[in-house]
Amino acid sequence: MTKARLLTTAFAIMLLSGSAAMAQEPIRIGAINPYSGPVALYGDEVARGYQLAIDEANAKGGVIGRKIELLRGDAGNPQQGIAAVEKLVSDKTDIFVGTYISAVSNAASDAALRYSKIYWDTNALAADLTARGLPNFVRSGPYASSFADVSANAVKDLLGPAIGKPVKGLKVWIESEDSIYGTSIAKQQKELLEKEGVVVTGVGAHNFRATDLTDSVLRAKNAAPDIWINTGYVPDGNLLLRTMREQGFKPAAILLVGTGDTFETLDSLGAEYLEGITIVGYPRPDQTETYGPGAAAYLAAYKAKYQRDPIAPQGMTAYVGVQMLIEAIAAAGSVDMEKVRAAAAKLDKPPKSYATGFGLKFDAQFQNTRAFPTVVQWQSGKIVTVFPKEATQPNVKLVNLPRK
Amino acid sequence: MTQAPQQPTTTPPSFGVQLARYAGLIALSAVPLALLWSNPYWVNVLAYTYLFAALAASWNIIGGFGGQFSLGHGVFFAIGAYSVARLYLDVGLTPWIAIFPAAALATIIALLISWPTFRLRGPFFAIATMAINEACFALANYSDRITGGPRGILVPFRAGLSNMIFIERWKYALLMFAFMVVVVLITVWLRRARLGHYLLAVRADEDAARAAGIDVLKVKLQGMALSAFLTGIGGGLFAMYVRVLDPPTLFTLPEIGVKFALIALIGGIGTIIGPVVGALLIVPLENYLRGTLGGDIPGGHLIILGAILVAAALFLKRGVVGAVLAATQRSKRSRG
Amino acid sequence: METFLNILVSGILLGGIYSLVSIGLNLIFGVVRIVNFAQGEFVMIAMYATFFCFAKFGIGPYYAVFLVAPLLFVLGIVVQRLVLQPLQNEPMMQIFATFGLLILFENSVLAITRGEGYSLAGAYSNTVIELFGLRASFARVVVFFAASAIALGLMLFLSRTMAGKAIRAVIQDRQSARLMGINVERTYLLTFALGAALAGVAGALLAPIYTLSPYIGGNFILAAFAVVVLGGLGSVPGAYIGGLMVGLMESFAGYYVDPALKQAIWFIIFVVVLIVRPSGLMGQAGAEEVGLREQT
Repeated sequence: MTKARLLTTAFAIMLLSGSAAMAQEPIRIGAINPYSGPVALYGDEVARGYQLAIDEANAKGGVIGRKIELLRGDAGNPQQGIAAVEKLVSDKTDIFVGTYISAVSNAASDAALRYSKIYWDTNALAADLTARGLPNFVRSGPYASSFADVSANAVKDLLGPAIGKPVKGLKVWIESEDSIYGTSIAKQQKELLEKEGVVVTGVGAHNFRATDLTDSVLRAKNAAPDIWINTGYVPDGNLLLRTMREQGFKPAAILLVGTGDTFETLDSLGAEYLEGITIVGYPRPDQTETYGPGAAAYLAAYKAKYQRDPIAPQGMTAYVGVQMLIEAIAAAGSVDMEKVRAAAAKLDKPPKSYATGFGLKFDAQFQNTRAFPTVVQWQSGKIVTVFPKEATQPNVKLVNLPRK
Repeated sequence: MTQAPQQPTTTPPSFGVQLARYAGLIALSAVPLALLWSNPYWVNVLAYTYLFAALAASWNIIGGFGGQFSLGHGVFFAIGAYSVARLYLDVGLTPWIAIFPAAALATIIALLISWPTFRLRGPFFAIATMAINEACFALANYSDRITGGPRGILVPFRAGLSNMIFIERWKYALLMFAFMVVVVLITVWLRRARLGHYLLAVRADEDAARAAGIDVLKVKLQGMALSAFLTGIGGGLFAMYVRVLDPPTLFTLPEIGVKFALIALIGGIGTIIGPVVGALLIVPLENYLRGTLGGDIPGGHLIILGAILVAAALFLKRGVVGAVLAATQRSKRSRG
Repeated sequence: METFLNILVSGILLGGIYSLVSIGLNLIFGVVRIVNFAQGEFVMIAMYATFFCFAKFGIGPYYAVFLVAPLLFVLGIVVQRLVLQPLQNEPMMQIFATFGLLILFENSVLAITRGEGYSLAGAYSNTVIELFGLRASFARVVVFFAASAIALGLMLFLSRTMAGKAIRAVIQDRQSARLMGINVERTYLLTFALGAALAGVAGALLAPIYTLSPYIGGNFILAAFAVVVLGGLGSVPGAYIGGLMVGLMESFAGYYVDPALKQAIWFIIFVVVLIVRPSGLMGQAGAEEVGLREQT
């Protein structure tokens, strides 16, 4: 070979191996969540969901020729959120995902914008996260309105008929914990229900860390509602239910929103008391395969990796969220903020495309309009999906409504 | 409530010398910023460091010099933050000016709260201030119209000097640094002023001070007013930096109110440079621990932080500054 | 009327909870003059220990208390000896150190349990007592009676036994007590450990009522301090009555005003009472000043 040819070949080889080496650089996804503090369990569960989606993608060779790596940033309040973003950026993070606390998501996504990095939120609920119109923000999962919508539908189409009462004039008490999560959902529930002609006999707010909730229960009891709704966390939800049992407050139906569908509540109240209680929650792996394709596979993967059943359904929504992100990256062919967002805007997948039963279609503010929670019911100590109909297994019926 | 730290019985150096010493120490604390100004992660950490140094130094005026161990300074911080945010968003007032009426409001509230609670001594006062902080937390969460309730107030990003919103983080860090310098200079002045001497006398022995003719309540109120005013300004700066203000962010005791005291304690309570030293130690450490350990072991970084706090309390009883002073005194004495 | 009685009963029972949690702190704060922010964590640790006894060995909480309380007694000795004894004359550093312990304990339990919300299942939590149309949970009634019994027992202990009298002497004037030949340091150790053990009893008896969380201690600590201060430092009947009053205030404020504001309301009342009567309801007048100026 001539010297020139040798050099050219060597140069070509170098170039090729150089770009191959660059293509080997993994895509780093920074997951910002509270991994310490009172909701640490959920932050961790959400991150587990991310990891499962990433493992799945990596098994197929990653995306755009690169493997994916998950990094974690612990943040329990906005200042920590900013610091976590800064740390992850210095660790060469390409894309951010999160976040179990809305205030953290707010500050962190804002910080991520300074670096033109996408903030792909899978779980935070506050409406203003998308209403802000931040150019890097995308929300793949349901939000406060979704929960409020499904609660109202559950009351109207599921519980009202089950207890044999017409919707107009149905009496409902709306209880919630007093942070942005509970209050924003409660506010919308009230609007939606009143529009349907439901009588909201009262709205109560309580602190989720309260040592006693007898006052909240007695107030609700006095209003004699047909249906009692609570949006809260596990400690207050459990205490409320126990207090209701103590005080002999027996509304015809109980609807919990957000939490109350895990072993933490089962252990606390017992299967017998929980029988028939319905929950508006994140979709669960027991859904039909037609409604939630891949749900069973998620369950199997979780059990294999973590040696136990999923702790909370938030994880599967997180898993699906990252699956959607990976699709957007693939469609964009890059991790660039604008390209990914533009590609996401064009994605259009019908409902029932994912394990959670979600579809994918972002509105102008990049909220996924096809992401909804489902309604489940405690039946003999197990959680069973009961709403919407397509998600429900064929032999499933409602139990204990009205409550005995 | 505490015994005064063992002060050397030599005559204090002249004002000029003192000023020079402090200027030197302050310049030292600027070194990290000068070295790391292009690294946004560290610049962010430094911005908080300087801000909390200033807040701890403000707390130190009444908590250290005055010996009134308030754990409720978060209330003044929150008032400053909310007020600046509202004035900026509703009236369009530039934060550079808004911090002053905000701080004034914080001061008024501080005086209203303190005038009756200063009857309490020591831990009773501390507990009462904590209770007030919790009460304000609940009230802030409840009053949608004033504070935005649970949703809080969100300040959108609109960069501009007059908005006190910057794209580059180092500008924030510089702002916080300047604020810290101002507060430290005020404490230097205070230490030498009559009010400072009265505060120290009240701390050492309240009854003796009263017997000596000092109007104890007035002195405490003046100290508190100054302390609350500066804390309110700090809250306003925080508002324009983090721009997400909700009750949990502003009123959580371990993150805000107690932290001011903690930083002053670990640095050296009642000293001038102590709060700065404390902040330079604690804030970067906490951030570093959270960044490296926070994701993997739930709460792992805080286990270490808790252990460090306990160790610091046991082995640095006078704070870092106190320990350094004691060490230099020992070497002075051994030298003859 | 029935509602009023319901609220009253609920307030009394809640007061029992506050009293039980505060009794240990009352000793520690009143005698040893230690601001023990970690007291709530003692309760939390006891709750988890009780849960462990129940989940692993099937021992019910009302038996487990006899294991848990000594466990906390030992923990109290360790903490007092290693952390608080050296900080005897540094009240501010005590706050600092016990706050560090609070963070340490909370997050250690978080690391071990990942924050899963355990509950004691079964009869302990589910049984309800009904009398004259008023209903109450069995577990809360137990707590109330336990708090009352302990308060009574403690009063007798302090007035009738030698050790108790030594403690009272130290409460009143530690210098004179020392002159009288009382081993003040040993008294501190005993009292702190006793206070921790009482927190252990509280934890064991509260375990059937709440869903466990590493952060549950924080829910009680400020209320416990308020109760102790309100009742009057070092006064056992004061802490007991203080607890009942706080429980009643919270219950009535929660029902008749707004559950979202009940904490704020009773905190404000607490501050007001303190301003009007700084020594607390049943403390000796001026007691808030005696003993806080350091007497070595």
